[in-house]
Amino acid sequence: MELWRYISRRLFQIVVIFFVILTVLFLLFRLAPGDPVSRMVDPNLTPEDAALLIQEFGLDQPIWMQYLYYLKNFFTGHFGFSFHYGQPVVQIIGDRLPNTIMLFTTSIILSALVGIFLGKIASWNKGKKMDTSLTLGALVTHTLFLPWLALILIWVFAYKMGWFPITGMISDEVWIDPEIGLWTKGLDILHHMVLPLATLFLIHFGSYLLIMRSSMLDTLKEDYILTGRAKGLPEKVIRNHHAAPNAALPVVTSVGLSLAFSINGGALTETVFTWPGIGRELVFSVSHNDYPLAQASFLLIAIVVLLSNLVVDILYAYLDPRIRY
Amino acid sequence: MTTADTGIELSERLQWMNRLIEGWSIYKKNLLGKIGIILLVLFALMALCSFIPPLLDPMYQPMAGVDPEISTATGPSTRHWLGTDFMGRDILSQLLTGARIAFMVGVSAAFMSVFLGTAIGMIAGYVGKFMDTLLMRLADMIMVMPALLVLLMLAALFGQLSIWFIVFFIALFRWPGVSRVIRAQTLSLKHRPFIEAAKVAGASNLRIIFRHIMPNVLPLSFLYMTFQVTSAIIIEAALAFLGFGDPGTVSWGMMLQWVWKTGHMFRAPYWLLPPGICISLITLSFYMLGRAMDEVLDPRLRKEGETD
Repeated sequence: MELWRYISRRLFQIVVIFFVILTVLFLLFRLAPGDPVSRMVDPNLTPEDAALLIQEFGLDQPIWMQYLYYLKNFFTGHFGFSFHYGQPVVQIIGDRLPNTIMLFTTSIILSALVGIFLGKIASWNKGKKMDTSLTLGALVTHTLFLPWLALILIWVFAYKMGWFPITGMISDEVWIDPEIGLWTKGLDILHHMVLPLATLFLIHFGSYLLIMRSSMLDTLKEDYILTGRAKGLPEKVIRNHHAAPNAALPVVTSVGLSLAFSINGGALTETVFTWPGIGRELVFSVSHNDYPLAQASFLLIAIVVLLSNLVVDILYAYLDPRIRY
Repeated sequence: MTTADTGIELSERLQWMNRLIEGWSIYKKNLLGKIGIILLVLFALMALCSFIPPLLDPMYQPMAGVDPEISTATGPSTRHWLGTDFMGRDILSQLLTGARIAFMVGVSAAFMSVFLGTAIGMIAGYVGKFMDTLLMRLADMIMVMPALLVLLMLAALFGQLSIWFIVFFIALFRWPGVSRVIRAQTLSLKHRPFIEAAKVAGASNLRIIFRHIMPNVLPLSFLYMTFQVTSAIIIEAALAFLGFGDPGTVSWGMMLQWVWKTGHMFRAPYWLLPPGICISLITLSFYMLGRAMDEVLDPRLRKEGETD
């Protein structure tokens, strides 16, 4: 019951934040220099089509009416037509969303789990060679410049070694052939995903490792650890069942706090690997002045960030019953 | 000003000096901190040296200077120690100028965001109530926004962004983290006896904030500044890499964009490697500096961090 109240309160906050973002974006689109109409209506359209679109978005109405139209269109999923693709924007970003979620969630979960595991090992071997090399490795990989790391990985493992495809998410020849089954197609995607995933993983696991390490060192000083030792529990049990679960809580918090940072990285990774996700679509649409697509991609990314924040919060409340806001 | 007043100021200043000297002696024991400082001095030297090549020969101008005999990307030579880019511009002089830009962007954005964060954090913590809620909800809201993508959106709407606009915006997006910490610190200071004493003595709120609270939170602000520098440099580099940097400046991110967009990344390692190594190393060194300073400020970390 308590948990539900907490979740509904967070949900309410998220809705408020999202409304602010929606409104600020609306105002920015009107405040920016140039004609606001040209930002929703493709300049290459015939006058009749353009008039139809102007009517649908209420662009000939006063500004507060435009805002209401804007909200209505948002909730009914009318984002206009992409200038570049000529398709409804909803359709495009709907296609891209699963790809982004697949890459993004896998990378975050993988790097958090590995970070927690290695951080545990580092703190357990505090002061030894293992600890020093893990900590140093985490520091170095965490501060690498992401797009550069992506380029280097492509250069070494895709171009020189030829182990992985250079860019993209699928190989056309596999997907055109009707004979080839789902299993092979899945493997094909996985094959393309290795390098982008490795890029995101290398950048992110380091910070989780460092947080886990210091949090574990703090936890090991707690009285209940001493009690465990006094009871004669095996060290392994103390480490894995008594210390680690508590020490992992700050890692969960930091996953939530670094989500904005991670989504930046996700967009960069998608762009370098031409992974057909929303982040890449945003970068692409911004460089091609495809305003409707840029607006919708941005809003969708905002929703993804806000909802993942909620998921992290719920996870945290579930993992640590002491926490109730 | 009475003589007693200046006496207090003098002893305060001496205390600060003592704290600095003591902090430095702890800092010196930290290996990573020392590496960080050395690397940063090297980068600072690079930034200073960036003025030299264009003086020797106008073809070494990082942006406008083109070698009259070269019009494609060429490898390292005696004439161009790190080679040239696709137009025949000298990569070394671009790299040196990049160091200057990185420092400029990093330090000014960090200074602004820490200034904002400290001021807002102190106000939220000290004033409390409605002000606190308002400012902290605002901070929460900004914190969930991916700064890079927001800057992209702005670039789409307002056209090319100038380097100072980018710096200003990074600062605007980075203060919430600082203000949270400063607010917590202010809250814990607010009810200490010396603040109560100042209140009883009739000090105004502004005087309490600036004379009594600020000196106690400033060390924390300085610590956060190093981490802010890191993120500011990364955001600017990433923006330039995507092609939305200030076209009038040569930053490392922009150099990487040129390698990537002109398709030289597989052919010209002498061009691909230096800017990326520089961005990564400068972030690493500011990060190590921050961690070492963290130990100076937090004795709890120091005991366990001896082997760090």
